[in-house]
Order: sequence, then C-alpha cells, then structure tokens
Amino acid sequence: MFRKFYVLYGFLVLGTAAFGQYRGWSLDTINQLKNVPKSVRDNPGSYRSVYGGYHHYTGGK
Amino acid sequence: MSAGTPPLSGLPKPQAKALNCPKCGAAVVLRSFGQAETVVCGSCRCILDAKDPNLAILQQFEAATREVKPLIPLGTRGKLRGTDYEVIGFQRRSAKVEEITYYWHEYVLFNPYKGIRYLSEYNGHWNDISICKTLPNVDRAFLDSPGSSADYLGESYKHFQTCEAITDFVLGEFPWQVRVGEHAAVTDFVHPPRVLSGEKLDKEVTWSIGEYLYGREVWEIFKLPGVPPEPMGVYENQPSPVTTNITGTWVAFAAFAVFLLALMAGFDMRAKKEPVLHETYQYNRAEAKGEASFITDVFQLTGHPSTVEVKTFAPVSNHWIYLNYALINQDTGQAWDFGREVSYYSGYDSDGSWTEGKQNDAVVIPSVPPGHYYLRIEPEADPALPGIPYTVDVTHDVPVFGIYGIAFVALLLPAVIISFRAYTFERSRWSESDHPPMDFSNMSSSSGDDE
Repeated sequence: MFRKFYVLYGFLVLGTAAFGQYRGWSLDTINQLKNVPKSVRDNPGSYRSVYGGYHHYTGGK
Repeated sequence: MSAGTPPLSGLPKPQAKALNCPKCGAAVVLRSFGQAETVVCGSCRCILDAKDPNLAILQQFEAATREVKPLIPLGTRGKLRGTDYEVIGFQRRSAKVEEITYYWHEYVLFNPYKGIRYLSEYNGHWNDISICKTLPNVDRAFLDSPGSSADYLGESYKHFQTCEAITDFVLGEFPWQVRVGEHAAVTDFVHPPRVLSGEKLDKEVTWSIGEYLYGREVWEIFKLPGVPPEPMGVYENQPSPVTTNITGTWVAFAAFAVFLLALMAGFDMRAKKEPVLHETYQYNRAEAKGEASFITDVFQLTGHPSTVEVKTFAPVSNHWIYLNYALINQDTGQAWDFGREVSYYSGYDSDGSWTEGKQNDAVVIPSVPPGHYYLRIEPEADPALPGIPYTVDVTHDVPVFGIYGIAFVALLLPAVIISFRAYTFERSRWSESDHPPMDFSNMSSSSGDDE
C-alpha cells in the first residue's frame, strides 16, 4: 500500500519538478508590479523601488 | 453452559458430562469427552484425573492465585478460523528473567471434530496456537545463539528467546497431565505474525505454531462484552504496522533519484542560458548626488516563460554597494522589483583572520514571459566609498538546481520516515528478546547487569 503511494508520490514529485523547471520556477522571492508607466523609460527617477528604504548593513564582524 | 451459547458445528450435538469433585463435592463439568487428561475443580482447586471414573485427586494447589480470572470464561464458544471452539481450560504461566517475573495466560479450546487448539494472551497480545503437524527443522536445537533459526513449512524463524516457564494457576480441562509448579523450557522462534514454540518437558519436546491475533478479533470471535485490554509494548511476533517492503521503497527511491538526475541533466542541456545583457557601470558618489537611477538597453527574451538570472559583481572590500533593480517589460508595463546587496568584509582578530560576504551576487527571477525588457538600476553605496565599478550580467533561461534539491528531499523523506518507523518497531520487538539490539546490550553492559 505504502509502496504504491510512494511510487505515485514519487512521480508527482518528479512531475512537479519538471513542470517547475519548464515554467521557470525559482526559489527567490521577487515582488511583481503591474502597469509600470512607459515614462519610466525616459525618466528613471520617477519609479520608486519597493526596496528604496533599505537599511544597509554597515558592519562586518 | 448458558442457553444462549451457539451450538458447536456438525453432528452430534456434544453433551457436557457432569461429575462431582471427590474432595469438595462441587460439580465438575467435563466438556472435552475423552480428550481431557486432567480437570481442575473450580471450587477447591484440586487437579483431578479426568481418565479416572472416580476423578482421583492428582494435586491440590494453594488458593494464593485464586484471584486469577480468565478474560474468556470457561465454556465460552466462538468461531475461530471457521470452526466453533469452546474454551475448556485456562492456565497462567510465568517466567523469571533478570529478576522480573512475566505472566501470560493460555486458554485451551476444544472442538469434538477438530480437537484442541490454544489461545495465549500476554499484556493484551493474543496468539492462536496449534500443535505442529510436522517437526520443524531446527539448525541448532534449543541453542539460543543469535544466529540460530528454525524452518517450518518453508518459512525461516529467528530465535527470539528461551526461558523456563512455570505453570502457577490452572482451571478447567487439559489434554495433558497438568500440574501447578510444572517447569518447562520454552524456546520461541519468530517470523511475524507467526511464532514457533518448542516446549521441553522432561525429554519430550512439543512444537506449536502460533499466529498473532488482535484483542478486538478475539472479542469478536467469542462475542465478549466490553473492550479487550490495550496491548502494551511490542510483542515478539506482532506484525509491524509498517507492512511495506522497506528495501523495495529504497529501490524505488534510488530509481527516482536516478530519474531526477536524468531530469536535471536533460533540463540543464536544454536550458538556453542565453546572455542578454553584460554591462559594467561605474558608481560615483559625486555624480550620485543628483538622480542615481538609470536604465539599461532593451533586450529581448524569447520562447516560453522562463527564468532570468541577474548577476552582480562589485570589487568591494570592507564596503557595500546596494542596487535597487527593476526588470521592466516595456510592452506590458509588468515589472519585477528587487534589491541586491554586494558586500565583502575581512579582517583579523584574536580568532585569526575572518571574511564575511561576497563580491558577487545572483538572483533568479521566476517565470518571466517573452518580450522586450530593460533593467532600471538605482545604485547606492557605502558613504565611505567614493566610487566603484560594478558589472551586471543578465542571463535568460537558466536551470534552478534548488528545485531538484527540494525534489530530492521530498523523495527521501517518506522513505526515511517509513524506515525509521520500521526500525523503531523492530528495535522494540528485539529489545525484549535474548538478542537485544546493540545499543541495548551496551546499556546493560555499562550498568554492570550482565551475567
């Protein structure tokens, strides 16, 4: 019973991995935005990055 | 017998024979016709000779164990493996191992056409036992070395334990000359769910074969009221709840791992890994006081939705540079916004030299549809850094090996869990045997309890 389940499960895992690879899945999380105005092309400063207020690491050990 | 009990199968209908105990005069019922060798008076605990018409007294045992009450009352009938049996005898036996006394119960079952079989019960674990029809082949009879085994009807049984069993309470009828205080050397060989037992009394060895029964099955067979006692621990021939073939599971896992490797190689070969942008830029603090952001040239991504890898390299040393990126589709306005830091620190302290961070960074943007794209880059850097060059590489359709890592773990996990469950169950089983697993041996050795 378990072996049948495991074989099915294994094919599901392999299928998911193959599908994910084909569809270009990634382990990185990236924010998506829609309808960025075309004017950004001419005026890059008009775009406000999600990460603009990032607090930078300034240390080292 | 109560009127409600079902009749035994076949004809003629059996009749119990009623006699009186020569000691106390209490009624003694003989249910097994001529099969019983001894019968115990339920009133005065005299063991009587069932073959003697006058029921000669063979033994009278003390009432110290009078409180022992069979879970299945004598006279109870039930259908076991398609045959009606009646419980005609009950005994409690014990064995002392390392100063601990273990007790178990045995029930004698009788059918006038099929004869005698037995049920045993230990801590809620039951066995349906019958006498072997052929002699098992024991490679080293009654030697309890770990390697000893026995073959019976084509199955190999592993030696589990040898102990001295003492009969300390009897009730009802027995097809042998039962005595309280009787000692027998009992050797068990197991092949779950079966157990092969050799019982040596004087010079005679009786072999029996038992098959594990769950308490609920016994309760159903004999239609007993209430619920059976919960089994405690793992019994010697208890079937493992892990019924799967562990080796087969690992073979399947190995096959899947090979398949996964092939998948990885195939997708790696198939991936375009197409460089679509390679530019080096210079960050200058003086210039950055105005608008630091800029856009790259437009590049085209073709084919199906796929990954886009953005790599950044900056020769920082004890500094950082931070890049606000946006990958923007100039046709649809869809954008992927992300920030990446490149920082590298090194030094020397009382622990020796140390480093932290890297001079390069990579990020993979998932499922980017085909189209025309550009990057908006907004650099920031350590205020102590007057300027630094940095290189941006954009590659289309790169394989993500982390997916295979996750798939590998997902395949491995069920095999590990099932193997661990099987291992712990078997370890519990064999920890009660004469051949406990290595760690149990070590534990007892270290505590000085051995020999």
